[in-house]
Amino acid sequence: MPRHIHIVKVHHLTLSFPTRKDPNPKPILDDVDFGIRDGEILGLIGNSGCGKTMTSLAIAGLLPEAASITSGSIKFAGENLLEMKPKARRAMLGKDIGMIFQEPSTALDPLMTCGKQLEEVLTAHKDNQLTPEQRHKTITEMLETVGFTNAEEICGRYPHQLSGGQRQRVLIAGAALLKPRLLICDEPTSSLDTVTTVSILALLKDLCHKLHMTILFISHDLSAVRGFCDRVMVMKDGKIIDKDTASEILSHPKNTYTAELLTNARLDTRILGLEPANADYSKSPVLTAKDITAGYGRSLFERGSKKSGDNNILHDVSLEVFPNEILGLIGGSGSGKTTLIRSLLGLLPHSGTVNIKSTSVGAIFQDPVSCLNPAHTIRWHMEEALRASGKAKTINGTGSRSERKARTLARIIAVLEECGLGEKYLSRHPKELSGGQRQRVAIAMCLIQEPALIIADEPFSSLDASSSAELLKLMTDINRELGTAFLLITHNIHIVRQICPRVLVMDHGKICEEGITTEVLTAPKSECASALLEAERKIHGI
Amino acid sequence: MQSVKNKTNRSPEASAFYTAGLILLGIVVVSFIVSLFWTPYEPDATNAASKLLAPCLEHPFGTDNLGRDVLSRVMSASKYTIFISAAGVAIALILGTVAGIPAGYFGGITDRGIMLLGNSIMCFPGILLALVAVAVFGPSVTNVIWALGLVFAPTFARVCRVGTMEIKELDYITHARVMGVKPVRIMTFHIFPNLVGQLLPATVIGLANMTLFESGMSYLGLGVQPPDASFGKMLSEAQAYVRVAPWLVIFPALMLIFYILGLYFISEGLRVNLSKGGK
Repeated sequence: MPRHIHIVKVHHLTLSFPTRKDPNPKPILDDVDFGIRDGEILGLIGNSGCGKTMTSLAIAGLLPEAASITSGSIKFAGENLLEMKPKARRAMLGKDIGMIFQEPSTALDPLMTCGKQLEEVLTAHKDNQLTPEQRHKTITEMLETVGFTNAEEICGRYPHQLSGGQRQRVLIAGAALLKPRLLICDEPTSSLDTVTTVSILALLKDLCHKLHMTILFISHDLSAVRGFCDRVMVMKDGKIIDKDTASEILSHPKNTYTAELLTNARLDTRILGLEPANADYSKSPVLTAKDITAGYGRSLFERGSKKSGDNNILHDVSLEVFPNEILGLIGGSGSGKTTLIRSLLGLLPHSGTVNIKSTSVGAIFQDPVSCLNPAHTIRWHMEEALRASGKAKTINGTGSRSERKARTLARIIAVLEECGLGEKYLSRHPKELSGGQRQRVAIAMCLIQEPALIIADEPFSSLDASSSAELLKLMTDINRELGTAFLLITHNIHIVRQICPRVLVMDHGKICEEGITTEVLTAPKSECASALLEAERKIHGI
Repeated sequence: MQSVKNKTNRSPEASAFYTAGLILLGIVVVSFIVSLFWTPYEPDATNAASKLLAPCLEHPFGTDNLGRDVLSRVMSASKYTIFISAAGVAIALILGTVAGIPAGYFGGITDRGIMLLGNSIMCFPGILLALVAVAVFGPSVTNVIWALGLVFAPTFARVCRVGTMEIKELDYITHARVMGVKPVRIMTFHIFPNLVGQLLPATVIGLANMTLFESGMSYLGLGVQPPDASFGKMLSEAQAYVRVAPWLVIFPALMLIFYILGLYFISEGLRVNLSKGGK
């Protein structure tokens, strides 16, 4: 047996959030026990709320105030972290333990240039031993290491001038500057598109070898873990229920829960029972858009003068969605997908024509946190949707006030049940629901308006594998039973392959390819489509 | 005046602020409620025989230069203080919300117009503006309330405007727009309930500040008119007797301090609670 040196040893860790009402609540982490070997990349997977992030925060010493560790110990290179003084622990952070977070858009200070922020990392830890020139040199070298060819230029830029992938690279550079022994990555790729994800993962792996770092990689994206991690642990309800080498666990799972996670991630149409309806291309389309050109960023003063440059993000985009169809729309970040749907929904001024063959279009958005109004109950949300659609009268018919009320309620409950939510959710507030349930309510709100088309803007990207599988099933069920057409915008080519008969590929504000999904995805004609496919192939290790 | 029971998971720090605030505020509120039905003496009744009496059993807070019972006057003065600050804040809150939410929601020219008006009010010293208004329209309780309401409205308008600008970018507002909800309904039913958390501390602080303004104006003789009592008025009258009869200053000043400190404590508790419990 080879002897492994554990850089981190978590010993029977139990953690909970005691409150005054409930001093002994159900633990968030329950007897968690594992070690991270020196130099390895350890993956930690599981559904949302299973305690992945809490584990990493406990190691980094960044637990929220209300959390209390009831038993166990965490050793880093032989020292017990829980017995250290807060000051000594803070000094370790960054120097010995680095961290990268999920959301690159909020992790950088918008008022500081990237160079300045990276310099702060050095000055905070190295006691000003280096001269400013030396610091600048270290920073530019590190930026080159993370793949920037124009490091000098990046130093002088502000975060809003960088793309999501570039920002994540700057953050990685910042974490790697002090050459920490352990790098904790908390879902670093979940808000990035496939092409960027692949490059970020390759970079992390490269850094791991170059700087001899150990990485704890937290993710709910099983495909990302596959080619990247050496070992994988699976968490469920605060317990580690399975651990093995990455290839073993992902190809021959022994634990039933791991197997279930894998099935959900694979989105097998037969196992999940995804059966979209057959689209009817002979009928007239439910949505026709012609020559849409739109853009942002024209202030009051610029609007008058024509000479300012071309601010348009979309250029002459035309598309048609047919009844009963699930139309996929794919493309990298910044290709104009979201701008397109904002134009289609009439939220953005644009030139060109949009014809919708129905009074209402439904929409579901990416972020399950802000998709519902926190001040109101689910029942209010449903009633509001019904009222706004103007169909309340036809459903209520005539009769006394209480009769009409009862009929409305019955209709709301029926729609909620269709979406897999029961009557008991009526009086709940959005904060009491999980991300997947909130997206369901958003769909229910669309459904009660009986739209012919629902536009879904990356509804899966913030959900874990199990919730996305359920949501996807719900969408295909609605499509099949009610004949609602969907326009599905996503990063996930795999989903498109499974349920969309037709697909559009967008790049630089134009539709660069359009056609039957199987044809486009097996023999792409355009460059951007092949780039997307190449990235997907890499990530799945096919 | 009892402290609120711990229904939610409130931090001990916030509870301490609430308890202290409610006790201080409670003293003033209870004396106000009692004064509606009963005061030891008639607040305006003069008595030449008992002028400037030091606190004693018959007159616990002493008497003033006209022989009026200070305890009775303090009790009836709390009535004006509470009424004026509450009514003034209500006017400021309504004006501020009605102006601030559309400003934040529509942006552009609506925003510029409304904020220009608000900023023009704010760039004058508040008390000066209120004084001018009262000087023009004549000193009376109603005029003081309207003047203070106008002066304070821009503060609330700003809170509403900034909150609205944040909220209107969120998905649930976009969703409501896509569903076809009318702008007025979006502002009243979708945005306003979410602003309550931000407006509550601002309202409490507004009450305290308004009380200070009102006292200042009464002190200058432009607020509550004699013979009615108000804290500012009592302080101003007591000025001449500070050396011979300090109780004339101490008791109204103490009540004023209790009221304002109580409000500040409560707003501090709200702040602690919102900043910790919010996220």
